[in-house]
Amino acid sequence: MPDLPKKKVGLISCSGEELPEGTVTRRAVRKVLETLRPDDTVTLCLPLFLAGGEGERSFARYYPTIAVDGCDKRCAARATERYSAVPAASIVVTDIGREPGSADIGTARRLNKTGLRLTDTVAERIAEETDRLLKRPRRRTPGPISDAGSCSCGSGLPSGTVRILGRAMRVAGLPLIFTQFRDQGLGLDEKTGTVLLETVKIYNEVPDSQKQDWAEALVREYAQFLKEKD
Amino acid sequence: MTRKIPIVPCSGIGKSLGAAAREAAYVLTEDLRPDRTKVVALALLVLGDEEAKREVAGGEAIAIDGCKLECAAKSLASCGASKVHKTAIFDVVRRHRGLKPEGVCDLNEDGLRLARATADEAAKIVDDIDAEGGHA
Repeated sequence: MPDLPKKKVGLISCSGEELPEGTVTRRAVRKVLETLRPDDTVTLCLPLFLAGGEGERSFARYYPTIAVDGCDKRCAARATERYSAVPAASIVVTDIGREPGSADIGTARRLNKTGLRLTDTVAERIAEETDRLLKRPRRRTPGPISDAGSCSCGSGLPSGTVRILGRAMRVAGLPLIFTQFRDQGLGLDEKTGTVLLETVKIYNEVPDSQKQDWAEALVREYAQFLKEKD
Repeated sequence: MTRKIPIVPCSGIGKSLGAAAREAAYVLTEDLRPDRTKVVALALLVLGDEEAKREVAGGEAIAIDGCKLECAAKSLASCGASKVHKTAIFDVVRRHRGLKPEGVCDLNEDGLRLARATADEAAKIVDDIDAEGGHA
């Protein structure tokens, strides 16, 4: 079985470009991804729910997600729910920002010191929710910096395209699955399709009626992958 | 009164080019053409926010995208912009090969230069739209 991530929390920030609170969401999510919980979190930029394919839209079905919104329009939470699945938690910056001591936080382009402090507060809140969702004890010490956090433009769970029943389908995790099976020496035989399909199903919704078609398509694609790598 | 031209940048959270696209939108709307342009948040368009859609529908708009998925351009088109002008930062960076943008939350100097170059190109589009009287 490939060593793929089995349990992580997905972070979706609104990143609203016209409000400073949107900048807070983006910076806070980056902080969690890079320093606070790098091994436990992945992200996807929100517009990919619209512009992306099924691979992106299935994101929240396979990761419990935290929506981080800048204002009470709650674009991240609503988009996640509309295009994928109900987020497991929702954080709104203006709720936190209205707490005593909050003040002007700068502009969307440049947060001031208050805005940066608010960013730290929001990042801590995200990290706490991450621990809660993963049922882990609360941690205060930041984790190591890693490159695990990236969005689906350079995705935390990269996808590949496979032609199935005449349609080009985005398959979440495919490059990792192929690479790790190849590294483990999986060749082509009568069981290859079944083995590939079982792993692909962890990250993708495969209709029962199409299992055979998916298996055959995955074998074709895997054969091509092996050919290109050899 | 002529309405401002909507500028919609990439919302990418993972790469420097997305950050540079966003910075370019701010350079354009705050420094270069503040009286003619305004940023519209991509997330609002994705959600079909009525107010954001009104800002976009029926007029010309400029997308500043950070990658080839072109989320901003696609969202503008789906929200009824009469014409979507694409300013793709990945094309701009090819025209400025010496630049090595880095950083997401905080761009390095090359990232800021790339943002400025992109904003300059977008400002030219704004001027062209105005010259043609294209934005009602």
